Amino acid sequence: MSIVINNLRKQFGHALVVNNVSLEIQEGELFVLLGASGSGKSTILRIIAGLLEPDSGSVTINGVDMTHVDARKRNVGMVFQNYSLFGHLTVFENVEFGLQVRKLPKAQRRNRSKELLEAVGLTGLGHRYPAQLSGGQQQRVAVARALAYNPRVLLMDEPFGALDVKIRGTLRQNLQEIQRRLNVTTILVTHDQEEAFELADRIGVIERGQLIEIGPPDVLYHHPKTEIVATFIGGGNILVGREEEGRIRLGKVFLPMPDQAPLHAQGSPVRVLFRPETVVLSREAFSNASGIYPLGQGRVLKRIFNGPVQRLVLEMEELAGVRPLKPVPRYGQPRTRIEVVETTTGLHHGARFDETLWVGVRDYHILEPSGIKFLVYTGSPERNPAAQELALHLGQLTRGAVTLFSVVSNDMEMSEVQAEMERIQNVWQERIPLLTTEVVKGERHEQVYLKTQSGIYDILVADPKFTGQHEMKPALQNLLEETLLPVLTVSQSQKGILHILICTAAGEPGKSDVQVGGRLAMRAHAKATVFSVLTSPDDQVETRRVEQHLEQARQSLTGLGIACDTRLGLGEPMAEIFNQAAKPAYDLVVLGAPLPQAPQRIHWPDVAQRITRELNKPVLLVPMMTT
Amino acid sequence: MMMNNTYTKSIPIGRWSLIAITIIWFLLLILVPVGGLIQKLLASPVAETLQGLTTKAAVNAFLLTIKVTVITILINTVMGVLMARVLVKQNFKGRLLIEGLIDLPFAISPVVAGFMIVILFGPYGWLGGWLEGMGVKVVYSVPGIILATIFVTLPFVAKEVIPVYRQFGQQSEETAQVMGASQWQTFWWITLPSIKWGVIYGVTLALARSLGEFGAVLVVSGNIIGQTQTATLYIHQQFTDFDYSGAYAASLVIAMVAFTILIVIQTITNRHREA
Repeated sequence: MSIVINNLRKQFGHALVVNNVSLEIQEGELFVLLGASGSGKSTILRIIAGLLEPDSGSVTINGVDMTHVDARKRNVGMVFQNYSLFGHLTVFENVEFGLQVRKLPKAQRRNRSKELLEAVGLTGLGHRYPAQLSGGQQQRVAVARALAYNPRVLLMDEPFGALDVKIRGTLRQNLQEIQRRLNVTTILVTHDQEEAFELADRIGVIERGQLIEIGPPDVLYHHPKTEIVATFIGGGNILVGREEEGRIRLGKVFLPMPDQAPLHAQGSPVRVLFRPETVVLSREAFSNASGIYPLGQGRVLKRIFNGPVQRLVLEMEELAGVRPLKPVPRYGQPRTRIEVVETTTGLHHGARFDETLWVGVRDYHILEPSGIKFLVYTGSPERNPAAQELALHLGQLTRGAVTLFSVVSNDMEMSEVQAEMERIQNVWQERIPLLTTEVVKGERHEQVYLKTQSGIYDILVADPKFTGQHEMKPALQNLLEETLLPVLTVSQSQKGILHILICTAAGEPGKSDVQVGGRLAMRAHAKATVFSVLTSPDDQVETRRVEQHLEQARQSLTGLGIACDTRLGLGEPMAEIFNQAAKPAYDLVVLGAPLPQAPQRIHWPDVAQRITRELNKPVLLVPMMTT
Repeated sequence: MMMNNTYTKSIPIGRWSLIAITIIWFLLLILVPVGGLIQKLLASPVAETLQGLTTKAAVNAFLLTIKVTVITILINTVMGVLMARVLVKQNFKGRLLIEGLIDLPFAISPVVAGFMIVILFGPYGWLGGWLEGMGVKVVYSVPGIILATIFVTLPFVAKEVIPVYRQFGQQSEETAQVMGASQWQTFWWITLPSIKWGVIYGVTLALARSLGEFGAVLVVSGNIIGQTQTATLYIHQQFTDFDYSGAYAASLVIAMVAFTILIVIQTITNRHREA
């Protein structure tokens, strides 16, 4: 192992720039750190070079712990983003500088620098000054200079960033050849995915200081684990389907669950990735023997001809209602769209604009199930912070994503709330890497509604007094009906979710209360109790049905690895639910919320209102779908 | 074309009058006094002028000025670059205060500066008494003159080097560091060559100022002929003694040196601009 980085962490002021990064790089490997600007990749490079000291963690080079060793003693070569050539020295003097400080005799220095300048294709330019060279030539001088003293490791910070696109390709090839020839372990930092693909033995994708995934380019491209990597690398389509009896349901389309797909709970969301070039278009329906997975028919909305390929956007009839993560849907877009790249085979063969074609995929990939995504409506700063606190706690516990969302009415409030958000972000960023904050100006109800419609979030967290004390009932009810998003109401501060009570009624059309509650319990490693009320114990049929319902719920929760038991209440449902929920053992109560069109066995809004208002514990209201 | 002509013709009156004012102002304030000095000098016999310059007092005064200037420049160059380096590279509490107060010697009247030194190092001053006890005399002696000159020329080098150093940035130094260069090697081979024009410019300005310093030196030196009399003090002395030809001759020397320095500064600025 040439370079080993262990639990590296670096904070600048409040900003956590490198968050627990660990990495092992093989001898002679060309490793690329890929990430957007500000993701912390250059900071990692500077820590390896010794120009920055990490707050914690270690850097080992060739088995020697270098964490606290001075940069000058590390014997590392580095190419800076703008090359940082010494302007007052000639090319020869630049390349020889590292040898000069190592007190090598002049003749040897000159030989070595001639050798390196030849290797990078700059023979004869040794006596020029950097200002007399083109950008590409300067970059090659920087490479030669970094390699002159046979460093153990070569570090490159966006070495092609300042060059125009035309010469990048040539220089990349040049660099790769030299790297292979000298077999020097190299870490290259870039934001350019194409560059990473072309050069890397392995790529590490970094986002907001965290190393998200590591792998060879083709594996990261075709089989990423996370949504971040799937969307960051390459174009593609990510659709959110549902697990249904071992298959994946995407609208009216079913796809088999691949054998190597990560384990998904029954009925849980499944994120399906297929790259635009794996989509197959045909004027006739696919036969079963074609080996192609049909996705139904689609109409060509957009066609961009690129020469060898054409890029298409198709609107998919049978995928209607499927939530796409990518391409990002426009607001109000009724049907799911997918992107397709098709090789052009001749003037009259390719797909035409507005044509309706059969669509299939040759291959698709399932991403790992994601953590729960919380949308937190924080209200104004003087509001009860309990909702926010619990959401942050759950976000950390479930390794999920948390978005703190504030709606303000004027600019003064805006800056005040923004400052507060920044403070929270700084405090929590380390514990919740996927924490984001957003402050918008406008009408509260409308803005929150719009935000929930982005289709990204799993749970909305809010204070029960969402739109003012007296309007609570209609506001919450409206929100549930409109957004179909489970709402977690929190009125009092609650530390730790160890035991969840899931109140469910037999004969409900969907079982989303058990599913959502189960998912939360699984992610939070909490115990779960499923509770149902029997109104007439003498009714044999009903008793059997309720018992069966409880048993099914218990089985599916146990299947998710949750410690689970069941309880049966007798009597008037509202009072029973309230009595059970009030027991101090439960830290959180899940309550199914039947929508108006569902047969209502109890008057739900009353229960919800009473429980959220009087219980003084978090309540998760789950809208029950009627499909 | 017609339009253009009427345009350009309507402006000159105002423009020419502005140019004329500038030229007259310049003539009145700079060229005429210098011309007067030269004229006075030419009017007096050459032998007398040379004699005025070769008196023991004059030679001693110029030698003292040279001595003070050389020591001042050496100390201020080293300290100025050091200060600039610290102020640019280190971030510590009070850094901004120091950077702001570095101009203080410019703002304070040299006479006041001299007086402060007398207060501090005079026979009854806080440090003066103690130093005198150890046999070191500062005020009314050469060390006092040097101290006063250092004080008034303190900002020049640091002030010129700070922006150049800042523009130079840290990356070249970091590069050298990664390549294995020690602090010294980095400073001599990388940093100094890159900031040298700033240093030279600052040194030249400090040089001009220390040659011509009068007020602070007057207060501190005691003006003892042959011992603590610098060239400017000598001129002043000649002038108050009505020995005008001696004053003219010495003044011309100082003026010529200043002129030379001015040309050097111009050359540096131009080269720096080209680079």
